[in-house]
Amino acid sequence: MKRLCTTTLAAMALAGAAHAEGELNIYNWGNYTNPDLIKKFEETYDIKVTITDYDSNTTALAKVEAGGHGFDIVVPSHSYIPIYVEKGLLMKPGIPEMENYGNISDQWRNVDWDPNREYSVPWQWGTTGVAVNTSVYSGDINTSAIWLEPPAELVGKVNVVPEMQDVMNLALFYVGGEPCTTDREVLKKARDVLVAAKPNWMSMDYGMTEKLSNSDVMASVNWNGSTFRARINNPDVAYGYPKEGYPVWMDSAAILSDAQNVDNAKLFLNFIMDPENAALISAFARYANGIDGSEAFMPEDMKTAPEIVVPEELKAAGKFTGACPAEAQEFYTAIWTELQK
Amino acid sequence: MARGFSVTSLPGFAAIAITSFVLLYAPILTMVIYSFNASESVALWGGFSLRWYTAAWENTQVQEATIRSLVIAVSAALISTTVATMAALGTTRRGRFKGQTLIYVMINQPLMVPEIVTAVALLIFFAAIKVATGYTGLAYLILAHSAFCVPFAYLPIRARLEGMDLALETAAADLYATPWQTFRRVTLPLMGPGIAAGAMLAFVISLDDVIITEFVKSAGQDTLPTYMLGQLRRAVTPEVNAISTALLALTVILLTAFFLLTRRRD
Repeated sequence: MKRLCTTTLAAMALAGAAHAEGELNIYNWGNYTNPDLIKKFEETYDIKVTITDYDSNTTALAKVEAGGHGFDIVVPSHSYIPIYVEKGLLMKPGIPEMENYGNISDQWRNVDWDPNREYSVPWQWGTTGVAVNTSVYSGDINTSAIWLEPPAELVGKVNVVPEMQDVMNLALFYVGGEPCTTDREVLKKARDVLVAAKPNWMSMDYGMTEKLSNSDVMASVNWNGSTFRARINNPDVAYGYPKEGYPVWMDSAAILSDAQNVDNAKLFLNFIMDPENAALISAFARYANGIDGSEAFMPEDMKTAPEIVVPEELKAAGKFTGACPAEAQEFYTAIWTELQK
Repeated sequence: MARGFSVTSLPGFAAIAITSFVLLYAPILTMVIYSFNASESVALWGGFSLRWYTAAWENTQVQEATIRSLVIAVSAALISTTVATMAALGTTRRGRFKGQTLIYVMINQPLMVPEIVTAVALLIFFAAIKVATGYTGLAYLILAHSAFCVPFAYLPIRARLEGMDLALETAAADLYATPWQTFRRVTLPLMGPGIAAGAMLAFVISLDDVIITEFVKSAGQDTLPTYMLGQLRRAVTPEVNAISTALLALTVILLTAFFLLTRRRD
């Protein structure tokens, strides 16, 4: 009997070990992970991968913080990485020593929210700009004037996505300010320009992919990926990068400090820094990825897409924006509330 | 002859009724129609096609989530109906007792407490257990679902028991049936439709749950509704419509069965 027990225990221990070797649990935004990428990873390393979805940074953070979740990798937005780090939820897996580290584009290697990429590797990034139907307006679209001081052709046909952070930041850039500022002068300017612009808008709604495709709205504050999909349906739609400044976001993959399958997770981070694999990520979710050389493997329609490839002269206008300190946030909310009236 | 008061004779009755029905069903109808869309859009019609049903059917994530949803819903329905049946017997087959209302409120607590509160409480509670035991399997989801399904199973069973004639059970006891025989031969067959109805309702409620599942699920435990929620961040394709339509069909079938079962013999 005792021997049977020992044998069973040994078998269980063995099974446990095999289990740990062959698994990887990824916690990512829904509809964001290319199944082909996962299949390739599974076949290359003989690791079984599970994908679990979340729908917001807050849900993901709450679950990770509670513990006992069983996830190895999480993909937070840039503004959440410092929060994860501060709470001790991420590990430093030695990313700079990884074989493919050199593939990260210079632009994305030393970012404020994760210097030297100690904690995270690029997954995808995008921008908030303006989408314009060029059959109605053919002037310069690389400016926030499109929605803040609309040209006559666009008056009454403009939409603004009701995303406080993005809209406020665009307005602050437009009046020459910085995001999260507490300078009342600048804030007042931003407020004035927003309030003055509102009568020229048609709506403040989400769901612009469809409405731009249908020409229901002729211009909108919108995200690049959504505009890209609208342009495929309706070639008149074009995407502008406001030269005054526009918000940039990036989601990055990181390993959780209580991950069970650390080695496999490291393999995965290195794996997605390979240009061919990074291109698979982009091919599925249709955003750029931040890995040099991945363009060559991108789907044909993305290689030159003006919504994905930022024009050289407008690159510098793109700025990472995140959650503001409480004081600045109060100003944001006050202006936003006034705008909603 | 004075006619009695009737809502139907009020002016505008038909108009209000029709408006209400349109508002209730137009969005669902739109969703169903676009599930047969040939194009990738949920708002631009590109011709009739079953491609999104095929896509959903062949999507392994959808397959796994569906099986998981069904396993959880069946288990939760079984557990919650058993508990609810016992609770219904305990609260109806006896005289009035002190604290009766309190017991009702406690049994129906999941109906009243906001779901997000239960979800956060379960997240913290289960996380502690997960860390302590290392077990992260489906049992947490099954237990959580069983808990909030209890009142949904309880209400129809209690309604059935309250509508049943106590004289039958008394007569059985008079004829020297043991309490067990009375229960097995009289009470249980009579309350059968109530139990079936309760089980179906619990099944549907478990199948539809998003919030609690989202907070309790561990790695690789997406159910169909949480999978669908995850799809919303990017462009929604008619695949979500197709899954929703299939889920809707299943719900309608079960609710119809529920209706037929509760109507019989009333």
